[in-house]
Amino acid sequence: MEPEYSPTVVDHFEQPRNGGRFEAGEGVIRGTAGSIAQGTMFVLSARVVGGRIEEVRFEAYGCPHCIAAGSWLSERLVGLTRDELRDWRWRDADQALQFPKEKRGRLLILEDAVRALSGAWAPQHR
Amino acid sequence: MSVSLKSAPAIYLDYAATTPVDPRVAELMIECLRPEGAHGNPSSGHTFGTRARAMVEKARQQVAASIGARPECIIWTSGATESDNLAILGVARFHADRGRHVVTARTEHKAVVDAFKQLEKEGFDVTWIKPGDDGIVRPEQVREALRPDTQLVSIMHVNNETGVIQDVAAIGAICRERGVAFHVDAAQSAGKLPINIETMNIDLLSLTAHKAYGPKGIGVLYLRRRPPLGIRPLSYGGGQETGLRSGTLPTHQIVGMGAAFEIGEREREADVARITLLRERLWQGLAAIGGVELNGHPTERVAGVLNVCFHNVEGESLRFGLRELAVSSGSACSSGSDEASYVLRALGRSDQLAQSSIRFSLGRFTTEEDVDRAIAIVNREVTRLRALAPAASIPSA
Repeated sequence: MEPEYSPTVVDHFEQPRNGGRFEAGEGVIRGTAGSIAQGTMFVLSARVVGGRIEEVRFEAYGCPHCIAAGSWLSERLVGLTRDELRDWRWRDADQALQFPKEKRGRLLILEDAVRALSGAWAPQHR
Repeated sequence: MSVSLKSAPAIYLDYAATTPVDPRVAELMIECLRPEGAHGNPSSGHTFGTRARAMVEKARQQVAASIGARPECIIWTSGATESDNLAILGVARFHADRGRHVVTARTEHKAVVDAFKQLEKEGFDVTWIKPGDDGIVRPEQVREALRPDTQLVSIMHVNNETGVIQDVAAIGAICRERGVAFHVDAAQSAGKLPINIETMNIDLLSLTAHKAYGPKGIGVLYLRRRPPLGIRPLSYGGGQETGLRSGTLPTHQIVGMGAAFEIGEREREADVARITLLRERLWQGLAAIGGVELNGHPTERVAGVLNVCFHNVEGESLRFGLRELAVSSGSACSSGSDEASYVLRALGRSDQLAQSSIRFSLGRFTTEEDVDRAIAIVNREVTRLRALAPAASIPSA
């Protein structure tokens, strides 16, 4: 049997928000984690304006929970400062999407992608 | 487009898991269940019993005729799983004092694999043949596996996941030459391929009704009687079926299986021709999506089964995306596990590709419209999921 999916997961899986990516350019940062070979991969890209995230795009390879998490996060991160982004933790997504316990490791990959994104946020992106 | 497709009823493309009961079969079964039908115990000597017994014996002849066997060689069971267990455990245990070596393949159905694992626990030595990447067990592999103490070889006719056909006649000839009992699980081939236990040198053959438009809960073990093949029963009781399968015979189920097999044999060629065209239409439509590969041998396969892997699509998301389609990943008989199919792994597929594989199986009631809708749904989901996935290599910003 397939795992259970919460209504939020089904909603984001069926109608993902902000799929795709921003091409490199002024104010664009990008963070990647995981790999297709290991079954879960996230690529997050964001446009930073005035010290805050203005828009996010996501790409995801993984189970429906992972695709939903990428979509959900693309809305959740909007408005965050560099410090707030750095402090983001996976439990935030877990609460919203109710990941099955055995899949929580995949949220750590998502957290890694967020860290990579904040790591790419150099002070000159203001 | 997505709204109209998603509001349409689900499309059943899982005939290899089980088939709907043919309405002609259902009618005969219902007749049997009515008060004026055949409620008597087929083992009773009174008129109620003899009426039921006559129906059981007619069905026995119908099933026997479909595989070129004599009716007394047909033993009613609850299905192919019980038939497999009775054949494998029954023969191996009976002959254990003559030798404790048995042979099968890694890609067999769970009912065979687990029966052989049980024999391993009982001290038997099992040779597990690995088929080629096309899923075919070469008869020479069987010959090489045989030893002086080999008692039994079990190789399925058609694989339940890939639809690949084994050359059981050639394997049977090798076993016959060496005096080794040969069992064939034919759950997936009845009504789809000609079966003849004489020309195929088969000693034991497992059949089930529910994959051939009959009811669930009834099956057959064909057992060679001349010369007699020693076999020990799995259960004990009233001594029905020459003591090999005790228990009151379920007349309505048996009538259903007999009718299903008679219809299946009579209509086999027309059914197969029509289903082959539908499967080809499905394959052309899926292949056009791109990044799609067939699992198993390209031509040595039954008409109704198409097992394909989709590159660059994660398996669970693909299955969830395709939930309007009643299809299987791996075998329905072992679903519940998140593991990649052991059959596809044995064919050399990676875990990832095995998990991104879908078995489409078509049958008597599949229509062109079903196939076209299925292609459209698969195309939509595969394209959508691939578009959301990162490209293979991402330059850092």
